[in-house]
Amino acid sequence: MEGRGIELNIGPVHPATHGVLKLVADIEGDTVKNAKVEIGFLHRGKEKIAELRYFNSYFPIVDKLDYVGALNWEILWASTVEKAMNLEINDRVKYIRAVMAEIQRIMSHLVYIGSFGQDLGNLTFFIWALRERELLMDIVEEISGGRLAPMYNRVGGVFYDFTDGIADKINTALSKIEEKVKKEYRAMTYENSLFIMRSKGIGIMGQKVIKENGVTGPNMRASGIKRDLRKDEPYLVYDKVDFEIITENDSDVYARFMVRVREILESIKIIRQLLKDMPKGDAKISAPWIMKVPAGYTLVRHEMSKGEGAMFLVTDGGLKPYRLKIRSPSFYSLQALPLVLEGCKVADAFVITASMDPVMGEVDR
Amino acid sequence: MIFNEIYSMLAYYLPPKANLIASALATFVLILIVLIATPIILGWVDRKFSARIQSRYGPIYVGKFGLLQNFADVIKLMGKNFVTNQYVDRFSYNLIPILSSALSFLLIALLPFGAPSLTFISLPYNLLFIYILLAFSPLLIIIASWGENNKFAVLGGFRSAAQITTYELALIVTFISIGMVNGSYDIINVIASQSLIWNIIYLPLTAVVFFIGSIAVIERAPFDLPESSQELQAGWRIEYSGLKYGLFMIGDYVKLLAVSILFVSLFLGGWSGAFLPGIIWFWIKTVVALMFLMSLRWSLGRPRIDQLLSIGWKWLLPLSVINLIIVEVMMLI
Repeated sequence: MEGRGIELNIGPVHPATHGVLKLVADIEGDTVKNAKVEIGFLHRGKEKIAELRYFNSYFPIVDKLDYVGALNWEILWASTVEKAMNLEINDRVKYIRAVMAEIQRIMSHLVYIGSFGQDLGNLTFFIWALRERELLMDIVEEISGGRLAPMYNRVGGVFYDFTDGIADKINTALSKIEEKVKKEYRAMTYENSLFIMRSKGIGIMGQKVIKENGVTGPNMRASGIKRDLRKDEPYLVYDKVDFEIITENDSDVYARFMVRVREILESIKIIRQLLKDMPKGDAKISAPWIMKVPAGYTLVRHEMSKGEGAMFLVTDGGLKPYRLKIRSPSFYSLQALPLVLEGCKVADAFVITASMDPVMGEVDR
Repeated sequence: MIFNEIYSMLAYYLPPKANLIASALATFVLILIVLIATPIILGWVDRKFSARIQSRYGPIYVGKFGLLQNFADVIKLMGKNFVTNQYVDRFSYNLIPILSSALSFLLIALLPFGAPSLTFISLPYNLLFIYILLAFSPLLIIIASWGENNKFAVLGGFRSAAQITTYELALIVTFISIGMVNGSYDIINVIASQSLIWNIIYLPLTAVVFFIGSIAVIERAPFDLPESSQELQAGWRIEYSGLKYGLFMIGDYVKLLAVSILFVSLFLGGWSGAFLPGIIWFWIKTVVALMFLMSLRWSLGRPRIDQLLSIGWKWLLPLSVINLIIVEVMMLI
């Protein structure tokens, strides 16, 4: 380290780094000259573990990839194996999975905007966001029996069908959340002048940075790129529902926040439509617990709450995968982070990091 | 003064020399009760109030409504080991918590508690003395942060020095305006002279400046940048633990009460009010001011340090100077 600055090690144990992320920042005065991101503190070899397990026994591991968006990853893994097996799944299962994916997306975004408020020094907002998330947690618990890591899906279907009267409960919870997001959150965050003062105009991530680093999801849509796999390559039943791709044009921290807030409202819209059109019948599982998957290469991409997640599965016709590669969206967001952090204030560095929504379980794998 | 009151009360029963000792002891015990009870009860109010804002219950298990929770916490704090980093400068590290909390206690001892005679220390120019006490704290913070030998502490310490120096300037101008309007730097005279019309009507801008400035000077959220727990973990308090950290916390709550009493005495007429006795009016106003200060902490995020400084230099200082000029012109007329 040359010059008059200091080198600040932020993390991996730091209350504002969202898990075990480590930032090494060269600071001069109150300005970050350059920053490095160190990852790998939560590496658990999940891709290697896949080679040692039966296809259905891998779900508990998938749950711990993105621990605030577990169901999304479960559905992706299930779809990957089903595609490799050429397995057609029940219509009702597709609807159930889509509902669960959107519920999980709302939960993930609520954690994001809550922890974002906390990074601005507003603990109240964090607890409010968790309070709303709790409503959906209860629903996930009633359906699947689990909360953070539900282990609800399996190859060929889901473990349990929806319980009786769950649709009404979901609708009640959703209208509560919608009201809170539109009223309380507005006053507390996106129309609060102190919040706007802190988040507008900082952490600008241009389209060039996004394209070079492969940033996807809400972070990308906040910079005006209109791309959403649910619309562009519809999977499950997303082609049957009517929704919009949310974009913002400012590409700053505030835009990234707003994309999430508006996506919550959009997801609520999707769930309502899905619940209305949900076909009757039973959600039968169409595959045995332990099965052989024909040899081949399979790539499936889904829109996670944090961006595009993909799984590339190589099978050799055996009971277990031959090789699995996971593309986790947070990893690519973190690659763009040093570029965005350059030249920002120290206090902003934490806000910008939070605005990328990194989940280290998914980054380190 | 409280001492004089006790002395004259006991004068019937005791000879002068014994009375002197007895009333000194009684005053001392009273000071201790105020100093110990204030932060603990305020801490409970803060926890309960913030809990209700955040849809939580807050402390409920220890005592009725969790009233004894903070007493339990203080006992726990006292039982903790002193964990000291080997690289700290021990002299300044150990001195600052004591000095800093002593300053806060001195601050509250100078203020009246609802009646002219209810003060522990009475000085003719106590408003200026209060200002000196407030102005002293950045020095202590810089010493503490430097002595801790930690990067986060130093960052927090410099932030703190910049912030407090900025806002003290605005604060001294508000004190000068009050001195000019009321013709005295003695809080009791200031309160007496606003028995008909409160200062907040004469000096609305100054009241706003004082309110914002005082939050910044006591480093209360949303202006708690020097110790922002999310960015700097605890800023200049990062190496402190156990009772030493507890002393800072106690000092914080005492300062919070001091600022609300100061605001009530300087702008809201102190104990002046109709129908009810003065002391009740005084405490009603103080509690309202206190609750407002506390609710700010739980409903606003914090600004960035450069934004905070620019608010101070570009808005608060000019505003207070403008108000001072208006007051001067009015007095000339």
